[in-house]
Amino acid sequence: MKHTITYILLTFVLFTQNCFAEYDQAPEINLPSIDGSVQLSDFKGKVVYLDFWASWCDPCRASFPWMSEMKKKYGSQGLEIIAINLDKERKLADTFLKDMDINFIVAFDPSGESAERFELRGMPGSYLIGKDGSIQATHLGFRDKDKKKLESAVEILLKL
Amino acid sequence: MKSLTYLAIVLLTASCSSMDTVKPWDKDLLAKKSMRPVPDYFDNFYDEHIYFSKEASTGGQSVGGGGCGCN
Amino acid sequence: MQLKKIKPGKIKKEISVAACALLQAPATVYATDAEWDVDTAVLYYGEGDGRVTAFEPAIYAGRDLGDGERIDLRIVFDVLTGATPNGAHASSVAQTFTTPSGSGTYTAQAGETPLDDSFKDTRGALGADWTLPLDRLSRVKLGINASKEYDYTSLGLNATYLKDLNNRNTTFSAALGFTNDIVAPVGGVPIGLSPMRQPGDTNREGSDDTKTITDVMLGLTQVISRTTLMQLNFSMGMVDGYQTDPYKIVTVVDPLTGLPDNTALLNLNADALPYVYEQRPDSRQTNSLFFRTVHHLTSDIINFSYRYYWDDWGVSSNTFDLRYRYQIGKAYLQPHVRYYLQDAADFYRHNLVQSTDVDAGGNVLLSEVSSDYRLADLTTTTLGLKYGYALGKNSELSIRGEMMNQSVDDGNVPSGEETPDLDAIILHAGYSFRW
Repeated sequence: MKHTITYILLTFVLFTQNCFAEYDQAPEINLPSIDGSVQLSDFKGKVVYLDFWASWCDPCRASFPWMSEMKKKYGSQGLEIIAINLDKERKLADTFLKDMDINFIVAFDPSGESAERFELRGMPGSYLIGKDGSIQATHLGFRDKDKKKLESAVEILLKL
Repeated sequence: MKSLTYLAIVLLTASCSSMDTVKPWDKDLLAKKSMRPVPDYFDNFYDEHIYFSKEASTGGQSVGGGGCGCN
Repeated sequence: MQLKKIKPGKIKKEISVAACALLQAPATVYATDAEWDVDTAVLYYGEGDGRVTAFEPAIYAGRDLGDGERIDLRIVFDVLTGATPNGAHASSVAQTFTTPSGSGTYTAQAGETPLDDSFKDTRGALGADWTLPLDRLSRVKLGINASKEYDYTSLGLNATYLKDLNNRNTTFSAALGFTNDIVAPVGGVPIGLSPMRQPGDTNREGSDDTKTITDVMLGLTQVISRTTLMQLNFSMGMVDGYQTDPYKIVTVVDPLTGLPDNTALLNLNADALPYVYEQRPDSRQTNSLFFRTVHHLTSDIINFSYRYYWDDWGVSSNTFDLRYRYQIGKAYLQPHVRYYLQDAADFYRHNLVQSTDVDAGGNVLLSEVSSDYRLADLTTTTLGLKYGYALGKNSELSIRGEMMNQSVDDGNVPSGEETPDLDAIILHAGYSFRW
């Protein structure tokens, strides 16, 4: 029943919306992380929620607890979350992370080079990468009403 | 003076489109409260009120700010 | 809607299309979360020498309601005491005037600038703005402003449309405002250009009068670089209705002696004093071109603005305003300079001269005239310093002190009659926090 509703919802959305964001393979990412380094290609076979954030971006603050929740719920089903920080100073990111419960990968890119390659258009900005490494969806901003839609998309990608 | 005004507007608009777009992740400094056009609400508010009462020019920064019988 | 058996490949495409139709939320440059931003402040303004003193406490509270919607509220109280120049100038003789209520008198000694000290006024003002997003990149802001003091009521509505362009590097705005003011002066609305009379005898045209203000503004805010922002606004306004200051007069002087002379005015009324009530046009078309730039240095910030103003009363002005913020850890020091140059209104006069401006029957030969120094050629120079301290991530304590000097260029007037400089002190203390 739940799947039926989701498919109907998506079909409805398909018929009422217009979208041109069709990317192919996600660009490679090789960045330092909290405890070592992270490489995007290592996660082929998993669904990756890639998020670009910065300490000065307030909606990013709201998205962190939600990302922790998603990792807790879907981590065992193959969801990986990578949050790439774009602060120019590491200590600004550290202050932000200090009062957050992180159970996902956090990487650091002060040069913004990875954001450039992903053609990031706003902050926060996220990309849903499928098991085959292709970008399935892009999202800008983070509002309360986005949570359900994003979660549905994650669920569907995990089932493919 | 009128023609100068129009020229200024045209120039600024024209130069805007040819400017390199600033990337979203390069807006860290602009996100600071101190980088807002009006960083302190009452600084600007009190000043506008004082000068509205003591001078003959009005506005420029907003519309319909409310009047007073300032003597 | 029919549910069909969907093949894996097709699902992928549907998700692609559907998921990326997840409509993007506004990722604002200055975002705040769902709590109240509160700003409390108090202003003391003092001119010294028995002139105007104002005490103005105020509170601002703003809150994001989610999804780009926001409300901003403001409440301000204004307590004014002290005396204001009535338009007449210092003379080599003592001068006596009738109070606005028409029941008493006040005097200015020889050499003293006449000041009317019957003003003790309290004013309350409320403002509210509601911002509604229209789509990811555009929004509309609706505002209301209301104020009340015992002799003045103002009510205004305004609407602003804002749209972000160029990856949010440009914001275009268009605003429209309508304000309605009711002036109900103490003693009633005087008949313009008629003589001020001895106490007990009044010549009023009514108890109140109104004016309406319509203004439009087009604005452009542009991100120039990572460190610089610029703003350009063009505004036009139309004021219709009663714009005369009901408490201001103009002196009629003898062409030879230069002293106040009511001889001709006595032909109009036996109680005439040598002064007539001022009269301003009942329509005013204003224009303003405003530019601002904010620039971030290594840790300091420069905020500079310039405004050119001109209207059909002949008033034009140049305003330069510069603030430099020296960041010192959690605190900052911010010197401020403001320089204002004004060209007089066409109908501004130092005095009315008998025979030239007033005929033998006591009739003023001009259709508009005012001696209010605020319409004269003048320069205002303000120097100030502000100190702010961040108590926490979202709270700040600040104090600001400024000195304002206003100097009028009287041109060729008899010595002793010059408009004295106005020197005022401005003190402002503020506390802002998140609640």
